[in-house]
Amino acid sequence: MAGNGAAPDQRAAGAPMIVFESVTKIYEPRVVALREVSLVIDKGEFVFLVGPSGSGKSTLTRLLLKELDPTNGRIIVGGRELNRLKRSKVPLLRRNIGCVFQDFKLLSDRTAFENVAYALKVQGESRAAIRAKVPEVLGLVGLAHKTGSLPDELSGGEQQRVSIARAFVNHPPLLICDEPTGNLDPDTSVGIMQLLYRINRTGTTVVMATHDREMVDKMRRRVIALEDGQIMRDERRGGYE
Amino acid sequence: MRAKLFFSEAWRSVMANLSTTVAATMTVLIGMFLLGLFIALGTWVLSWTGEVKKEVQVKIFFDTNATQGQINSVGSKLATFPEVKSVKFVSAADALTKMQKQYPDLTSGLSGNPLPPSYEVQPKTAEQVVELAARFEPVPAGVESVKYGKKTTERILQVAKIIGGVFLIGSIILLTASVILIANTIRLSIFSRRREIEVMKLVGASNWFVRGPFILEGLICGLAGSIIAVILLLVAKEAALPSILGRIQSPGDDVSALSFPLIALILVAVSLVVGAVGSGVTLRRFLQI
Repeated sequence: MAGNGAAPDQRAAGAPMIVFESVTKIYEPRVVALREVSLVIDKGEFVFLVGPSGSGKSTLTRLLLKELDPTNGRIIVGGRELNRLKRSKVPLLRRNIGCVFQDFKLLSDRTAFENVAYALKVQGESRAAIRAKVPEVLGLVGLAHKTGSLPDELSGGEQQRVSIARAFVNHPPLLICDEPTGNLDPDTSVGIMQLLYRINRTGTTVVMATHDREMVDKMRRRVIALEDGQIMRDERRGGYE
Repeated sequence: MRAKLFFSEAWRSVMANLSTTVAATMTVLIGMFLLGLFIALGTWVLSWTGEVKKEVQVKIFFDTNATQGQINSVGSKLATFPEVKSVKFVSAADALTKMQKQYPDLTSGLSGNPLPPSYEVQPKTAEQVVELAARFEPVPAGVESVKYGKKTTERILQVAKIIGGVFLIGSIILLTASVILIANTIRLSIFSRRREIEVMKLVGASNWFVRGPFILEGLICGLAGSIIAVILLLVAKEAALPSILGRIQSPGDDVSALSFPLIALILVAVSLVVGAVGSGVTLRRFLQI
């Protein structure tokens, strides 16, 4: 993204990772998903997005990936203004953003290794680089012994670890998680959260949309609460409520 | 490097979705087999009508006592008509020889030669035969009659026109049907994998990176289906055709279908184009993520 990945303790320094300037998103004909949302997220931050279903969390994450375009307002991610980003450059943007989803979104006919390798293949990485990086990142998420397993043969928590490995294998400056623990039991969720926390400590900015009240209260990180498409609360060390 | 990657991705998806691949290949196979059969049959019939049309000609019979001068003057007049393709003079002796060959019984008892000399005039196209005959109205001196088999000619021309039309319309319908059928099968196979495409896009695959293997897969199905169709057609041609043709009286050696390699080429080309374009066009909808 904007040059060298920021070190963990340079939070305030340099350009912010994400800037929303009075962003409005209206789904035609007249569903207002986001209403004049403005926010700044610095490099290296760990941010929870909370709010009830339909409050605009998913819309916000999809705007970051340029899956959607805002109806109004400006979005800047890693120094790139998304409104001005050409369609053909969208793949480049996404290679610099790792995403983790509630439903994992793994390719079901590929092993854990191949799923992670795919993220490298799309950007033309060499075979040698793939062979070096994939086992490393699968080891990092604690799946060194399951590289040859298909998604069906893995538990939910393991599948989510594969998807985190895929998101992180490029060491992107930004990781977006849309309810990553939504389908997992509490114990497994803790493991996933620890993993995300470790990734955050390498300097990666993490934005996580979640319903997991307990987790948010325990982590004491920045919390942005959305309701009806508006920011109700933005606290540095907040809880769920 | 990239081509190799595309090919390995395409191959893996062919193997992973074997049932849809087989379905698409079979669709191509059936469509192309029928199309090939129709083209072969159609061009054969067209060539046959063409041959029949060539036999349409104007015959100018002279009086048995017409002078050489009168014959020559008609001959030189014929040379100036633009519709005329070729003129053949049949002398009284030639006519008799021909008659004797065809009907030896009838001509065996003849003492003299009752047959008149004549011109056999071939027009450039069969349709011009009527105009050509009209130019000898009223008949010039020394000419006994001008004949062109009015009823037969008109009938032949009409039938040829209908056959041509049927062939053309049939080909278009068959071609359209196979294209739609093949495109639809491809669409189904892609639709069943739209989630996969979404994931590819979200991890940053460019449109061409997603499209490449799919198009290659379409090409593979098209190639496999059309090659099998060509092989089946070849078998049909070698095994079935001789026994059928033995029963049909061929009007001339010049009657033939479009050459087999050309038909094969058309079929393979059509399948490849449909396979690739079908995949590419269908994908467009799913790539807009």
